[in-house]
Amino acid sequence: MKNVLNNIFKPKVCRQMPKGDADFDKLGFALKTEIHAVFGRSLAIRALDSGSDNSAEIELNNLSNPYYDIERFGLSFVASPRHADILIVTGAVSQNMAIAVRKTFDAMPSPKLVIALGDDACGSSIVCGGYGVLGGVDKILPVDLKIPGNPPEPIQIITALLGLMRSLGKK
Amino acid sequence: MKIPDLYTYLSEFLSPAINPLRLEKGANKDYYLGLDWAEAAALYPKLAEDGFGLIGLFGLEGFRGYEGLSLLYVFEKRNYSGALVIIRRTDSPVASIAAIFPSACYFEREIRDGYGCEFENAFDRRRLWLHETYPANFHPLVKSFKNQPLSLPAGVEDEALYPFKKVSGEGVYEVGVGPVHAGIIEPGHFRFSAIGEPVLNLEIRLFYKHRGLEKLAVGRDIDFGLKIAESVSGDESAANTYAYSSAVEHICSVRPPRRAEQLRLILLEMERLYSHLSDLSGMLTDVAYPVGAAALMALREELMRWNKRLSGSRFLKGIITPGGLLRDIPAGIVNELADYLRVFEGRFNQQVEKALAKTSVVDRFETTGIINNRLLVPLNITGVAARASGADIDTRLNQPYGLYSELAFEPPVLPEGDVMARFKVRVSEVQTSLGLILQTASRLSAGEYIVPLKPQNGYSLVLVESPRGQSLHWLWLRDGKIERYKVRTASYCNWQAIEHAVLGDIIPDFPLINKSLNLSYAGTDL
Repeated sequence: MKNVLNNIFKPKVCRQMPKGDADFDKLGFALKTEIHAVFGRSLAIRALDSGSDNSAEIELNNLSNPYYDIERFGLSFVASPRHADILIVTGAVSQNMAIAVRKTFDAMPSPKLVIALGDDACGSSIVCGGYGVLGGVDKILPVDLKIPGNPPEPIQIITALLGLMRSLGKK
Repeated sequence: MKIPDLYTYLSEFLSPAINPLRLEKGANKDYYLGLDWAEAAALYPKLAEDGFGLIGLFGLEGFRGYEGLSLLYVFEKRNYSGALVIIRRTDSPVASIAAIFPSACYFEREIRDGYGCEFENAFDRRRLWLHETYPANFHPLVKSFKNQPLSLPAGVEDEALYPFKKVSGEGVYEVGVGPVHAGIIEPGHFRFSAIGEPVLNLEIRLFYKHRGLEKLAVGRDIDFGLKIAESVSGDESAANTYAYSSAVEHICSVRPPRRAEQLRLILLEMERLYSHLSDLSGMLTDVAYPVGAAALMALREELMRWNKRLSGSRFLKGIITPGGLLRDIPAGIVNELADYLRVFEGRFNQQVEKALAKTSVVDRFETTGIINNRLLVPLNITGVAARASGADIDTRLNQPYGLYSELAFEPPVLPEGDVMARFKVRVSEVQTSLGLILQTASRLSAGEYIVPLKPQNGYSLVLVESPRGQSLHWLWLRDGKIERYKVRTASYCNWQAIEHAVLGDIIPDFPLINKSLNLSYAGTDL
């Protein structure tokens, strides 16, 4: 009983939590405003790996760690393409994944956007040009935004998303 | 721990059937032995009986004056330093050795895809790297194939063409997952057969991310090879670039300066730290203990920021290079890192203690996903997975490289083989890594951080302990260019362990078991 009451009335302190990241927060809240203006409420992203070295996915996952906690800005990663506004593709499209990438895109409702994230997905990495990959994502999907980097860091990702939302807002 | 040298052992083991003087030493501690088919056929069972494990098998053309395809079988005997490489020409039929060394199964399928070499009596002839989107009789690793983009694949459905094992009977059902998963994760296909809740059979199909890295390396210079090593698996960049650089250094008979070796060790252990932190956090997420998971993820983010300060990359990319390092790390930063890690240790230990005091965590961890220790040598299971199943192996100690021979530490070994054992082994390794970094940081040498090197002809085998376990790199340089670069990461072997670890557990435990092994798809698919 005492615990329950403490839970309700005592201030909640989280001493272990990191200080956060002021630059990132600034961008994040700006992004939140833009998302609100363009999409009404929130932005749903489906992430898809088509042949990266996995560092890009790790950075996407990091966006949800306590330092960044990107869901505060009205942005969430969803499990199904049917729930998604944006498809973020990481990795050069491998021959073995080409069909799955196409199917994921087709399963999304329109209007939809595609972001190529990382040098592999942008078609500018060393893995392009061989038999194993078709090249960048733009080889098989209409790409709206490219975020280069090997891999792009969280702050670069959110900066790019903010830019995209602003350009959509102007349209 | 004193490690006996494999060569001394081999000279006794091989005679009188095979003259041990035929053993030729490579650039590192690799011993090469050319065998004809009768000798090889007699030797393999003997090797298996004596506890040798097959840790690598790959093909190459034009090796040692034989223009056709040669196969290199790499064997390691646990707790002996060095590797035995058996060279087999394919001028006569090659028999599959998968029945003697089950780890050969994947390797043989891979060679069949790459070179079109058929193995007699192979029990699994399905394609591995090359899915059905590739044309028939397409073998990209043969020299005559000039690497170039292929046209768009036709709309082939894998389903019909790749025969998964059929499990039938009353109440048996199949669950297929992937290649596209629900989270932000790499692609792969899992086919579960279950009856009620327990898993009866799991078959994993990988290689969706096959990018053709080995072919891309052919004919390129040393710098490009480094980029390939870096692309193998993003969060193993330090281990893979180290192994590659080390192979080049062995071939060119160059020793990096002591300062470079010390800083490399710090980078390699930082990689182990941030990798383990993610796994420990992921395991807590999968048993619904997000408070602990978030705390560990915060620590991991801090480590990744340190990576950036040390190397310029959160993934430790672009710093290790043949001859040393591409940039120096000032002593001031290293000292600051040491100060941070002392604080880190307290915060880390506190979180682990809290997590292991939760009955809900312990209940899910214990007796889940057991890897039987009888599987370890046949499947060549490596790294944390092996140490948590009772194997006293760690490449840093068995095949000491860099400065590891000078540092004293014991690999943590637990016998249970379950998720809990893997959790605890990881915790213990984090503590070991902290110790290694602090020791090295406190006696950092001054001086150069890179020495120049000129490409030489030759080949070298390098084994390193990445955070996921042992990785094998074999590099052959000719006329300043890469003739063949073969990488086999720890994940490649450990994937096969999952198929056994899940048996009898329920499907909802699969994500936890998977996370406790943390395997890289990119590092497997290449």
